[in-house]
Parts: sequence; structure tokens; C-alpha cells
Amino acid sequence: MTNEQFTTEFEKTRPQLKSYILRITASVQDSEDIVQDTYVKASMKIEEFRGESSLRTWIFAIASNLAKDNLRVKKRWTEDVTDICREKALSNPNYFPEIMQIQQSSDHANFEVKEHINFCLTCISKSLPLEQQICILLKEVHQFKVSEITEILDITEAMVKYYLHTARQKMVSIFEGRCALINKNGTCHQCSELNGIFNPKQRFEEEKNKIEFAKKADHPDRQYLLDLRLEIVRGIDPFNSVGSDLQLHHLEHNRKVMENFLDKK
Amino acid sequence: MTNVASNGKAITTKKTFSRETAISIDIQADKHIIWALLSNASDYPRWNSTIISIEGNIEKGEKIRLKSTLDPKRVFKLSVKEFEPGSRLVWGDAMGKRIYTLQTNSIGTTNFSMNEKIGGPMFPLFSKLIPPFDQSFEKFANDLKSEAESIQNSK
Repeated sequence: MTNEQFTTEFEKTRPQLKSYILRITASVQDSEDIVQDTYVKASMKIEEFRGESSLRTWIFAIASNLAKDNLRVKKRWTEDVTDICREKALSNPNYFPEIMQIQQSSDHANFEVKEHINFCLTCISKSLPLEQQICILLKEVHQFKVSEITEILDITEAMVKYYLHTARQKMVSIFEGRCALINKNGTCHQCSELNGIFNPKQRFEEEKNKIEFAKKADHPDRQYLLDLRLEIVRGIDPFNSVGSDLQLHHLEHNRKVMENFLDKK
Repeated sequence: MTNVASNGKAITTKKTFSRETAISIDIQADKHIIWALLSNASDYPRWNSTIISIEGNIEKGEKIRLKSTLDPKRVFKLSVKEFEPGSRLVWGDAMGKRIYTLQTNSIGTTNFSMNEKIGGPMFPLFSKLIPPFDQSFEKFANDLKSEAESIQNSK
């Protein structure tokens, strides 16, 4: 493969790679840097690419290794991230003026509940052990097969299955306890609160009914509800959605709050 | 160490100065999945109905603090004495040790065995205060089998 061919192929992969790294780092800057470093590293090693896996798998393997070395990625968040960050946002006098500014200046600042669901899953997934987070993102969001994940992470199929299983179990349990969309006693109502702020004319119940897993909140198979949630996440490009600037600002805020919180701990 | 049939039934052998409980079960799962379950301390309460919590890292030389349903008010302070990934794990204290072993069977399943021997010169004085382990061992082994097979069969 020539460097030119490689560059063409890499550019096709770049958007989803950037989304993947954003979900791991929660940092726009880091995701841009890691994706660029991946391009440079992969270009230098392209002669070593034997075609035993797909080029996409190979690129994701290089990016995953670079992401795992990132210091921010190693710090794991807590399950109550949304509570901690909500409190900080409410006590920060600059938070809402900044958001208003984004809304006035950007065409990508509409608030949509499904985008908040994507944002929320990113935050919650950062409370999983790193290997579990990476496995669930690769399998359930970027739709790699288990056999491809073994190549990306250089671990056995048994371990991939273990990480996936435990990640799913933990996600189900966290959302079960927290998410008011699926549990009347859930402690987190952030999507409805924010929808009330950004879309005051909308009736949240109507918006909620557009969310498949919320509509089926009483379904006994809670793994199925997680699958429906992940389906929403798969459909969202966090850099190019209708509310990307708003959600990215929100994510940057949460990352900074969590970094301070973890440093003090 | 007592040899027992791989049927998920615990056997206890009592002697004057010691008591030994053993169990063995065949699990239709890769031994690395079982090892991951056995060596991940914080994950135990999720799948194991006999463990309330384990704090610390299950690694050679590390200390762990274990709370079991056998005696929920007590915290067992144990040290990890042996740690051979995929095959053998031993933890314990001055009074006894628990040994976990994994072996791949010829048909690709994994044999899991667990053995705990407690004892010493003072054992006859307090032996009656220690509850029997059999039921807890059977729950442990069956929980492990169920969780490991569920992971093995996941897509």
C-alpha cells in the first residue's frame, strides 16, 4: 500500500476514530492529538501492515495503544459523575453564559435528548475499568467483532468476552440505579432538566416517547434496554451532530470537574 | 489435599487439629475467563453470592480484606500467597489457607477445584465456633460455573 492509498483510507476512518478516542479521553484536544499521532505512527509503520487484519482494525489498534498511554485516560471517573458535575455547573456563574454564547454563535448548539443520552453514556463509561470501557465501545458502538477486538487489544478472546460481559453488567446496574428514563426512582433527571432549559416550549413526556428504551422502560430484559441505548449512541457523531458544540462544551466541563475532583481525592 | 469428584458437592474431612473442605466442578468455559473472575477483587460481589466484598488487589504478596456471608460482621485479613495466572491462586492467614486450582480437561472444559484447610495446635478449642463451609463452597463453585459459562456463551 502506498502512502497516498493509506492516507485516503485513513481519512475514511478518521471521523469514527476521533469519536472513539473522544469517548475514551473526554477531551476534544486529546482526541485530535491522538488521532493525528495515530496517522503519523501508522504512516511510518505502513510497511509492517500485512493485511492479516483489516486496515481499520490495525488503525484502531494503534490508536487504542496511544490512548491507553494517555494520563487522563488512566484516571477513572466515578459513577456519580453527573451529580458531581451538575452541582459544579450550577455553582459556576460562567457556565450558563458560556452556553448562551455557544447557542448564539453556533449552528450546532441545539439540545436534543438523544445527544444527551450519548453524552451521558460517555461519562458513565469512563467509570468502568479502562479495558472494559474500550471493549464495550469497540464492540457496541464501533461494531467490531470479538475476534477483531482481540487483535486491537492483543488479548485473548476469553478476556474480551470477560471485559464485555462485566462492562455490560455494570452499565445496566448503573443506569438502573440512576437513569430516571428507565426507573421512576432513578436519581438522575439531567436530560429532562436540560431539555426544560434549552427547549422550554417542548413537553418532555413527548420527547421521552421518542426514545425507544424510555418507552420500553418496563421491559424485563434490562440488557435489551442497554442495547437500545447503545443504538442511539451508534447513530451520533459527537463532532458533527446538531448539538455537537453544546455537548462538547458540556463534556469538557465534566472532564475538568472530574479531574479536579479526582486530584483532590 | 483431598481429592473429590467434580460434581459441585463439597466434602469436609475433620481431624483433631484441623478441618479441610474441598470441592471440584467442571466448567464449560475457557480457564482465562474463570481466572479473570477469581482474580478481580472488586467484581466478586456481582457474581458470587457468598462474598459481600473484597478490598485490595489479588496479586502475589498483596493483602486483601474479605467479608463473607459466612460471618458478615467479620473482616478476614488475608494475604495472597501464590498467584499463577490461569492455574493457581492461594490466599490465607495464620490459621489456614484457601487454594484455587484450574486445569483444562481433555474435552476443552475447565476443572475448578477449591480447598480450604484450617487448623493448628489450638484448633480443638475453637473448632465449634467455626461454621461449616460446605454450603458456602457449593454456592461459590456453582456461582462461578454459572457466571463463567454465561460469559463463554456470550456473543
